[in-house]
Amino acid sequence: MDMMISNLQQQRQVTEQLRREAAIKRISVSQAVQDIMKFISEHEQDDCLIVGFSSQKANPFREKSSCTLL
Amino acid sequence: MPKDDETIQLQKELQDLIAQVQDMQKKANDAKLEDTCGSMGDVPKVRLVTKKLLKGHINKVNSVHFSGDSRHCVTGSLDGKLIIWDTWTGNKVQVIPLRSSWVMSVAFAPSGNFVACGGMDNMCTVYDLNNRDNTGAAKIVRELAGYEGFLSSCRFLDDKHIITGSGDMKICHWDLESGKKTMEFNAHAGDVVSMSFASGEGDNPVGNTYVTGSVDRTCKIWDVREEKAKQTFFGHEADVNSVIFHPSGQAFATGSEDKTARLFDLRSDQQLALYTPPNKTSGFTSCALSKSGRFILCGSDDNSIHIWDAMKNQHNGTLSGHENRVTSICMSGNGMALASCSWDQNVRVWV
Repeated sequence: MDMMISNLQQQRQVTEQLRREAAIKRISVSQAVQDIMKFISEHEQDDCLIVGFSSQKANPFREKSSCTLL
Repeated sequence: MPKDDETIQLQKELQDLIAQVQDMQKKANDAKLEDTCGSMGDVPKVRLVTKKLLKGHINKVNSVHFSGDSRHCVTGSLDGKLIIWDTWTGNKVQVIPLRSSWVMSVAFAPSGNFVACGGMDNMCTVYDLNNRDNTGAAKIVRELAGYEGFLSSCRFLDDKHIITGSGDMKICHWDLESGKKTMEFNAHAGDVVSMSFASGEGDNPVGNTYVTGSVDRTCKIWDVREEKAKQTFFGHEADVNSVIFHPSGQAFATGSEDKTARLFDLRSDQQLALYTPPNKTSGFTSCALSKSGRFILCGSDDNSIHIWDAMKNQHNGTLSGHENRVTSICMSGNGMALASCSWDQNVRVWV
């Protein structure tokens, strides 16, 4: 971990910052992953890369036919 | 330089804190991502093809960003132009000539009303897409100057606020109504090359939390209201070129010069996964996530875009088509399309 510490002031700031970051509450990786899995499962049906388009009409990028309703 | 007692004390405390943090992270590391996800269903092979090949730029295209409407996107090129594209039709909606051709980063306001760009001109310029000047081009509403380095990244919080990362290692917050800088602080030990906001509450596309990626190989988490970082993530062995928040708000993905992509988790404060392509030859310039967060996509120096199942850590596919480095990719907000741009001067919309 490179720190650019060139004087006392910076040293204080770096140490204070790490004190703050060290103090955060951490949860277990297994819990974190469970929660992310839950989010993904709940949103799977909205993810086009997983479920694709429900019909061609739902795809705004499709080639449009030459007839349009005016 | 003679060290006094306080310096020595602080340095020792620093070493102790580092050891403490690594210890706490280790304790939290009670499972492997790939194992925990064993129960998840497999995903199909992603089928994305170039639905629109957007031609118009006449030099390298460096950056692309979607509007909140998931339909329009803006690209910036070394040809000195911003082009606003309608990705549904492939049409150019606006072409904005820039005062400087050295554009490195572009951003579309979620509302679709404004775009911003900047680069080696050491400025961030904001254009109003609904107001033209007397040449017919989108009007410049703000020229944000005062940077001591190039503008490497920018993102709108909303129509009135923008945040920038620059080559002078700082982050600046600007109020666009007054044109004044509301915050400026040292952020990293290197250029701040990428930033990404977490989604907000309800329909708000932008929340209070954002992540930055830097040439100093770290990523940091910030709250828009504060000048000190919340968390710092280590792991990458070279420049972090791109960061993107996971739609869950609990994690973020990265693409790096070190030829890996990674997933970092905020609440366990550590890296969850490392992704590499079958041939680990090139750095990643950009990254994106699918709408549910199941897939991670990265644009590469090898001219392609790699896709992984982010949870099972399996390479899912490669999007080929660009004929030179892919510089930037962006997923539309509705998750239907991926826009990519390249040194080959083209922009592709993959659907």
